[in-house]
Amino acid sequence: MSMRGSKLRNGTTRLVPYAFILPPMIYLMVFMFWPLARQMYMSLTNTRIINPNRGRFIGLGNYERLFEDPAFYLSLRATLVYAVLAVIFGVTLGVISALAIDRPFKGRTIVRAILLFGWAVPNVAASLIWLWMYNDRSGVFNRITEYLGIGRFGWLTSTDLALGAILAVTVWQVAPFVMLVVLAALQSVPHEVREAARIDGADGLNTFRAVTLPHIRPAVQLASLLVCVWSIRRFDIIYLLTGGGPVGTTSTLVVKIRQTAFEGHELGMASAYGAVGLVLALAIASVHYVVEQRRMKWMSR
Amino acid sequence: MSENIRRRKLLATAAVLGVALAAGMADSSHAQSGEKFTLKIANSQWLDALRGKNLWVAVQKYQEVAPNVTLEQEAIPSAEFADKLTTEMGAGQGPDIAIMQEGLFYALADAGFLVDIAKAADGVALNKTNDNGMIDGVHYGIAWQRAAYALIYNRPVIESAGAKVPATVEELIASSKAASAKTPGVIGFTARHQINDFSGWFMDFQNWAYGYGVNWVDKDGKLTIDTPEAVAAVTAFKETYASGIIPIGDSMPTQRTRFKEKHVAFSIDNSGGTLNIASGGALASADMGAAPMPFKHPGAHQQIFLGVSSHSKHPEEAIKFLSWLVSKPGQQALREASGPDALATDVPVTDAFAAANPWAPTFAKLAQNSRSTLIPGHEMETAQIMRFVMQAVEKAILSNMDPKIALAEAQSAVGKQF
Repeated sequence: MSMRGSKLRNGTTRLVPYAFILPPMIYLMVFMFWPLARQMYMSLTNTRIINPNRGRFIGLGNYERLFEDPAFYLSLRATLVYAVLAVIFGVTLGVISALAIDRPFKGRTIVRAILLFGWAVPNVAASLIWLWMYNDRSGVFNRITEYLGIGRFGWLTSTDLALGAILAVTVWQVAPFVMLVVLAALQSVPHEVREAARIDGADGLNTFRAVTLPHIRPAVQLASLLVCVWSIRRFDIIYLLTGGGPVGTTSTLVVKIRQTAFEGHELGMASAYGAVGLVLALAIASVHYVVEQRRMKWMSR
Repeated sequence: MSENIRRRKLLATAAVLGVALAAGMADSSHAQSGEKFTLKIANSQWLDALRGKNLWVAVQKYQEVAPNVTLEQEAIPSAEFADKLTTEMGAGQGPDIAIMQEGLFYALADAGFLVDIAKAADGVALNKTNDNGMIDGVHYGIAWQRAAYALIYNRPVIESAGAKVPATVEELIASSKAASAKTPGVIGFTARHQINDFSGWFMDFQNWAYGYGVNWVDKDGKLTIDTPEAVAAVTAFKETYASGIIPIGDSMPTQRTRFKEKHVAFSIDNSGGTLNIASGGALASADMGAAPMPFKHPGAHQQIFLGVSSHSKHPEEAIKFLSWLVSKPGQQALREASGPDALATDVPVTDAFAAANPWAPTFAKLAQNSRSTLIPGHEMETAQIMRFVMQAVEKAILSNMDPKIALAEAQSAVGKQF
């Protein structure tokens, strides 16, 4: 009896991990993998949004049209430029901010709260605030440039400035997140090692390179990956500020998806755009994986 | 063993009771549905300041003649209206009645999401605003409102500047500049001009196109984008934009608010927008004027239709509501809340309204010859086609591209896709 009981207990114990993993797996299946699989299938059909269940299988027809369309390459370029620049500026600013507030100084809590403000404000609210700041006639930026005697600028209507203007809002939003992640990593850097480096004569920059950076690198890498993927799928800021214009300079893949699905009603084609976005995000995740593997190998040596 | 049997008996009894209870509930809800109905009506206008409330009060008068019906609002912001309604309908849900722009109306009718409402129009003298409500011989829609466009102006501002009401684009630029010069802070002219407001912009731009005699299709139904008329229209818009009289970057709601607050001399707007400007702002409605647009040919109108959803659980009740709406009491109630918009039947604005809003009769007159913003024969693809046209306009005004070249590029892209 006791042996049977013990066997039963062992069996139950073996099942416990599966029981824990089951709810998230069901959640992922229902809300992620099933819709994703459906989207991939839909990209091979001529489904229209007003009749999503009546799509006909057309093979690679949508992809053929996509690759022949010059607007697709413009959109792909805008997505890549936007994502790469968001990572470069967002992560750099986030790391610098984290290093700056890592050291104790008077009023650090207040400064930290102010720096986190961008992350705390909802995207739509932030976009509407920036929309006014960029306004040609009444915006604060043009008031400043006029005061400086360099005239007014069409921040959101100039083909040269629109992407930069959107990037500024994006960086303002993501840099605090990067700062938080890096700040958490900085807390784990052993104080004695830094102290030892200084005693050995290393200056601030060398201490950072040899001691701090290796410790915070995984965090920076993860933050970069997240910022990059978020940038590929960011919609609200871009759509509210420029709607993909002027002349398509900010028309990223996600903006094109919205346009194709809701304006053209072509859900199948929009799914093909989505599939390209997915491939892009997976490619970036693969790069992160490879870099991480190399780093682990290097660390184990 | 006997314990198992007992458990099975218990489960079976519970199941039988559950089924009986569910059947009873279904019966009782069915019985109730014979007595009371709720009709959900989707409209972006419910959210309009002042006008939304007035329209809802007008519609609710139906409950006086049909006390068993409760009307319920589905208020969706206009920018999201088409997206949300399309998604809801696609999923087999949504309101019983939708009040929607003509383009969306065509798309929903084509998808089979609207029912035949011919019964609602029995014995009613519907006017020509209802013409497009009939698609392939089936009556899918009844006109809710037709909002024609006109040139509106702030009378005291232009009188103090000694500027005249323009009849050409050159005069519009000159009068706008004169008004801005005379009253510092006053904007010369407001108009939609940004692609982030695409659906509004393309409909407004049709005024410029039609005003220069553009037909986006030839007599054989072939799409003609780069015609000399279209080049002239884009060139005129480009000159207006480059003249600096438009507040670049302002959204349409912001521009309307500026007009309300006496900061604008001229605007091209529809009658609904004008009513909005004339209501509850610093600028008195009596101080506003309206005139034909500064183009040779008549302009456009925004047409809004009422349709009954095929997903509605009470389509017959919804059609009865439409019958009341096109009846004399319904139209009169709607007239009071609709300002100068043309309605499904010929109900003139009251003398009191015309006296208080001297700009209103101009809209009624312009509505007689105005054209739909949809491209004939390509009603459902109009937005997609106009996306190429508006991109050409963008290239002309922002990249200084020659309108002829920009429209030739649009023609080529349209030719490939349609």
